[in-house]
Amino acid sequence: MMRIACLLMTNELAAHATLLQVALAHSPRVEDTGGDCVYLDAAGLRSLFGDDATLAHRLRDAAAAAGLAVRIGIAASRIGAQAAARFGSGATVVEPGGDGAALATAPLSLLTLSEALATRLSRWGLRTLGELAALPTAGLFERAGAEGVQAQRLARGEDPRPLASWRPEPAFEESVECEWGLETLDPVVERLGELAARLCGRLGARGLAADGFEWICRLAGGRAHEGALTPAVPLTEATAVTGLLRLALEARPPRGIVEGLTLRARPTRAAPAQESLTDPSRPSPRFLAATMNRLVALVGSDRIGAPALLDSHRPDAVGLGAYASPSPHRKEPGESGSGNAPVLALRRLRPPAPAAVTLASGRPVAMRSSRLAGRIVAGVGPWRSSGEWWTPQPWLQDEWDVELADGTLCRLAHDGSAWHIAGIYD
Amino acid sequence: MGVPIESSPPPGWEREGIDSLLGMFPPGRLSEIVGPRSSGASSLLLALIARITTSGSGEGGGQVAFVDGMDALDPASTAAAGADLSALLWVRCGGRLRVALSAADLLARCPGFALVVLDLDELGPVPASAYIRLQRAVEGTQTTLIVRSERHREGTPASLVLATRRLAPQWMGLRPLTRLAGLRSEISITRSRFHAFSDGGSTGSWTLDWLLSQ
Repeated sequence: MMRIACLLMTNELAAHATLLQVALAHSPRVEDTGGDCVYLDAAGLRSLFGDDATLAHRLRDAAAAAGLAVRIGIAASRIGAQAAARFGSGATVVEPGGDGAALATAPLSLLTLSEALATRLSRWGLRTLGELAALPTAGLFERAGAEGVQAQRLARGEDPRPLASWRPEPAFEESVECEWGLETLDPVVERLGELAARLCGRLGARGLAADGFEWICRLAGGRAHEGALTPAVPLTEATAVTGLLRLALEARPPRGIVEGLTLRARPTRAAPAQESLTDPSRPSPRFLAATMNRLVALVGSDRIGAPALLDSHRPDAVGLGAYASPSPHRKEPGESGSGNAPVLALRRLRPPAPAAVTLASGRPVAMRSSRLAGRIVAGVGPWRSSGEWWTPQPWLQDEWDVELADGTLCRLAHDGSAWHIAGIYD
Repeated sequence: MGVPIESSPPPGWEREGIDSLLGMFPPGRLSEIVGPRSSGASSLLLALIARITTSGSGEGGGQVAFVDGMDALDPASTAAAGADLSALLWVRCGGRLRVALSAADLLARCPGFALVVLDLDELGPVPASAYIRLQRAVEGTQTTLIVRSERHREGTPASLVLATRRLAPQWMGLRPLTRLAGLRSEISITRSRFHAFSDGGSTGSWTLDWLLSQ
């Protein structure tokens, strides 16, 4: 026999997670509606908590202890339990077989109906579930179709659907207490490696990976050394995680004796990908993550990534995006590197090198800077570009392509106040 | 990639032109591209990057790591050359030679990159031991490692050395000139340990026109 309890929250929705925990403490099968009510499977709980009335009061007391004001309804169907909770005395039990009668005075708004059906029932003058339940089923089917019949079954308290069981997200966290304080980095990393192995095992069993890790080293004296790392790609391999943790701790070691460790992983569902037999190989996530972290330590996080062209006409408007392999780029048919025209490369000078330029008839004839100097034997320009005049930092630039006497081809630029070398053609 | 206008491939080669030139960089070995400013060396690199990042038959191409010693890479030129920028890992070293060498060493030891470029430009001098270390890092992998610098250093273990030489800039318009159109350069093989030609030598040259993208 189906028995379902409805916990209807009457205070703020922010306590929804607490309501779920209260329900889960009384029954292993809980359905989360996402709204203000939670259903739990009350069948078979008699030996644990007593009869339905006792269970209802127990649920209400448990919610009150958690700071929640709830109304409880227990019936043979979801809608019956919800109606008992909404319109009952606060802890209401509908006896088996009494759902239809309990729902008779409940408004139609208790059902989730399509707008068309709700309008139609309203035009028929129906206001309560009892009035809908009393209609002849055959006639209702002819006029309102299967949806109408389904609504009538619910109005009669007939809802055979099982509960859609909700389970809390598992917490991917592992801790260890160090009986003997750890004074050097190697044993700390070794212990963290053990925690990482456990976490990765649990993640792998659920088909998950981790895209972030946090660790806490509890130090002697009650202090804590905390840190976090974000690998370049989601990881599932403990050895890769351990390597990254070692790098992070070497860069910022704990200052004191470590008495306990906690490692927390942020789970994510790794997109399944299958390598092509014909495409070139790509760096494995494990090696790439370790290499990227070493490179970040070497050059800084703001100096590594995939180049990205910004949506601007400003010269050298480029950024660095996250580099992730494999590339999401899918080639169009016929697209191939060998089909492109040979392009003359410009080598940027960053920052642009200031230059002293000699002009004759408005054209540059000689230049001198710390990088290049000489007589200009040929040149074309100026090519004027400007933009962002609508912002506080407008820009304007006149560019010249020039050839020096030694054969060097470079791009000179004048920004309205000074000359500089933007780049060298190579 | 490139269109040779006066291709003079070495005798004994079946294919002519830049495709054969780009295809001769040996994986698992150190190669060098050397040449002065405005000689086409960087253009040759971009052509190679474009070829690799758009190779393959399915999703994406090979992955390329570009260790930029002088922060000189122009992504706009790279994209114009046809490269897939999302397949390019750009490491900017800010003119620090030791950092650039270390970054290239790390990337050469990370399996999976089809090409690792160490662009030193004017940085130097580079000790010969650094070249040997890079060669050892890339040995046994499928990664092609290329060092681009201004001049060739004697005693390096490079298996292939290409030298670029500026021939002439290409201008549009008669007097007065109206626009820079490109650069004609010559690329010659000065050392090749894996390619022997029918005449028994290991040298050859290509003349290529690099066009300025607008």
